[in-house]
Amino acid sequence: MARLYVEDWSPEYGAPFESDPDTLPSEVVVDTAVEVRGAWEPLPGRDDGVRHVAFVDGVQRLEARLTLDDPDQGPLPGICAAYAIGASVWDRDAGASTFAQVSVHRLAIFGESAAPEFPVVPGLDYRVESCTARDLPSFQAMLGGRRAQRETRLVEAMADTDCFVVKDGRIDDTGPLHAVGYIKSHNRTYLEPPHSRVIAAIRAGQRTPIFEVHEKFSRFSWYIRLADMPYGHSWSGIARIEASASLGIDRARVIADRTAALLPLAAMPLHLDARAPQNLIPIAALEKELRRWLGDEGLVRRALRMAIHGAPAGVTA
Amino acid sequence: MTATQNDKDIALDIQTSERVGRVVGIGHTSSQEFRVVLDEQAYLAVDDLVLVHTEVPGIGTLTTYGVVVESEATYEGAAYESDVHRIAGDYAMGGGLGVGGLQPAAKVRSAQVAVTRVDPEMWVAPDPGAEVFRARGIERDRALFADEMRRPLPVGRGRDGEPVYVDLDFFDGTKGGHMSIAGVSGVATKTTFAFFFVRLLSGNPQLVGPSASNTRVLVFNVKGEDLLYLDRPSTEFDDEAAAAWRKLGVEPTPFALATPGSRPSPPAPGVPTVAYWASPRAHAGDALMPDVSSRTEGIAAFHWTPREFIDEDLLQFVFTDATDARNQIPFVEERVRAQLKRLAVDVLGAPGAVVLREPNDRQGGQRAVHSRAQERVIRTLHDLSEEIGVHLEPESGDEPDFAWSGRVQGGTVSAFMRRLHAASTDSRLGRLVRDGESHRIDRQAATVSVVAIQNLHDLAQRFVVGALLRETFRDKEETGQRLPLSIVVLDELNKYAPREGQSPLKEMLIDIAQRGRSLGVLLIGAQQSASRVAPDVLENASIRVTGRLDAAESERAEFGWMLPSTKARARLLKPGTMVLGQPAVPVPIVLNFPRVPWATRADEVRADADADPFRGLV
Repeated sequence: MARLYVEDWSPEYGAPFESDPDTLPSEVVVDTAVEVRGAWEPLPGRDDGVRHVAFVDGVQRLEARLTLDDPDQGPLPGICAAYAIGASVWDRDAGASTFAQVSVHRLAIFGESAAPEFPVVPGLDYRVESCTARDLPSFQAMLGGRRAQRETRLVEAMADTDCFVVKDGRIDDTGPLHAVGYIKSHNRTYLEPPHSRVIAAIRAGQRTPIFEVHEKFSRFSWYIRLADMPYGHSWSGIARIEASASLGIDRARVIADRTAALLPLAAMPLHLDARAPQNLIPIAALEKELRRWLGDEGLVRRALRMAIHGAPAGVTA
Repeated sequence: MTATQNDKDIALDIQTSERVGRVVGIGHTSSQEFRVVLDEQAYLAVDDLVLVHTEVPGIGTLTTYGVVVESEATYEGAAYESDVHRIAGDYAMGGGLGVGGLQPAAKVRSAQVAVTRVDPEMWVAPDPGAEVFRARGIERDRALFADEMRRPLPVGRGRDGEPVYVDLDFFDGTKGGHMSIAGVSGVATKTTFAFFFVRLLSGNPQLVGPSASNTRVLVFNVKGEDLLYLDRPSTEFDDEAAAAWRKLGVEPTPFALATPGSRPSPPAPGVPTVAYWASPRAHAGDALMPDVSSRTEGIAAFHWTPREFIDEDLLQFVFTDATDARNQIPFVEERVRAQLKRLAVDVLGAPGAVVLREPNDRQGGQRAVHSRAQERVIRTLHDLSEEIGVHLEPESGDEPDFAWSGRVQGGTVSAFMRRLHAASTDSRLGRLVRDGESHRIDRQAATVSVVAIQNLHDLAQRFVVGALLRETFRDKEETGQRLPLSIVVLDELNKYAPREGQSPLKEMLIDIAQRGRSLGVLLIGAQQSASRVAPDVLENASIRVTGRLDAAESERAEFGWMLPSTKARARLLKPGTMVLGQPAVPVPIVLNFPRVPWATRADEVRADADADPFRGLV
């Protein structure tokens, strides 16, 4: 009979990892002529008065390392992890924002397709998942995948409530039309000179023309500047937005103008956050709220130990 | 209490109480204080009373009662002050960048509660998350210990409009005595509250006891003539105030006039009477006219005769200045006083006057004699002072008569005489001592005796206060009975019993403060700054009441009975709002008292007040 163990925190669990790796440039084809043919100039944004804007994001956390000690196969690795997703809905007429649709999910992921019985942890609902690999990055990819699925469903739900949805991170092809992905880190540029020079030229409230990226699926994308930063380099305050190409260029233009005008309003003042201005105010508040929903890490680990070992942390069996 | 009874009580509580929130569990709750996070639709204001039930393992259910001492609100989720702009909806920051309403946050309202009582008395902190109810009805009374007061006297209304009580046991000497009222001057709250309290006392004879109707109140009007209208209806008194009075169980009426020799008010059962006395006007010759400007009828002039002055040892109250005690003047004064007592004899045909004559010079121990040609008939204080001078500062230049001066330095004797001479002028004490029929104050004439001394010199004010306090105290010492009560209302207590220095007046006040409780002599002392009053007097006051306080004053140790939050608020109290501290309730309670039906200033007197009160009645 295999026995389950929960183990101490290991260093890599605390380390951040990028769940949103940008694909390499060689794999993508960029069409710069979908909106503007010929030379590019910065374009002004325009607020079309959209009433509800929903910012959707999620956070995740590794909570413990598991080991399934099988007498025949030897120890098998696993993790306990949690993620929370939710939305911050800005009602522009009311001048107020509220959190919506916050949910917390917990996973116990085991390697090599193992799916042992997991004990009941009071107050914490772990769902067992099996992963074919047995390394941490694979577990993390699985966790990220589950979270991405939920986030996509949430984006759909919010769009159904007549919100314009800004999702933190990239969108995928199943996303609805009335939503954009908001990408704040730039591992590379999709644009080559001379078009890439326009990025440096746009001011807060302006955007680049729309370009189309052909990857696994086609998407529209454009750059906006959130704030003109004193002492900033040419790309500081720049964010990239993407939307589904199935939107059509006319509707995409309306949305692109809207993001160029609206998102600078949500930019974090520079002195408040090291990640300002890209870390938008609603998203920062939402992440803080979601982390709160994940609960106290120490209490979670204690509950896990109680459930698995029958003794709290620090007590040797 | 059995478990079932307890359960039943709690079920009853929940019916009569409204839930307002839950005990906050961030940080610790304690048996002294806790915080309440409020329900969306509920509110708690400062001074509201609440209760919480706590399940204690192995014991059962405790009920913790408390009073709200602070009300708070915040945005949960805001980390920076400027987040408020991003949370609240109506703000656009400079340059058009940044608008309100982008940051989600929750408005959270909460209240701090100071625990007043735990029932049964087991000091256990309430559970975090426990439901908090507004205390109403019987629960409210329990929160304020009114259920444990043997003789609860309503003295005002709490924020909820319900009566706030004082346990009379702690005023009338049963368990404690005296009242101290503090507050800044100018709002006339202190004396008004004192009279309000006196009026409530007389309106609740069943609480005071069988001797209630014989309770006597002595009060000194020391500034203005504001206390001379207790029998006059006020223009400021309205229906709302009347309703508040009835809520306290007393029919609001002014006091009934009963000054001897004046046309009395029609008798009304249950209405306390008042008599006004004033010092006689100076330089008025033989005419005896009360020295007041605002009313002429219903007020009697008072003075002492030389006979009374000597018999009642009033000489000591001529020397009440704090510097007198340092100069050994009291030694001379005692000596002189004894001599006067030994030698003074009445003069036939001159009531109240005396001559000084050796006892062996009187035929057969006569009580009254004919004056002789060379003899000075002492008709005034001036005469007395001259006569004493004969013995202490002989014109011959001889040494003072040892029988009069005792063994003191010559300088002390002259200081004594200098002061006595100065005091006996008409503008000071002179007008208070003259021969003739006795015109002393009859404290039995009415429930309240108002003694108007506002036009007297400081020295003379202290003299009158000293003389009357002594008389009051001595009467009670002689009977040895606590009842009926004898109440003294004394404003500017710091003038009569200052923190520093010695004087016969201060000693007597300390004596009253310490022993008066058992003799039924109760002091209602008022002062602007308690810190300037002799601690012995203040510490003996069981009931403490405070109106608006000066900020520096409220930080002094004398106000240690108040909570920090109450102190902060005491700077802002409006007239009519007081903080009450009493031994029976461990936290100070803020109360309102209604406007009084009598005028508290000349311009408040209702115009028709002099008219026949029965006019218009068929």
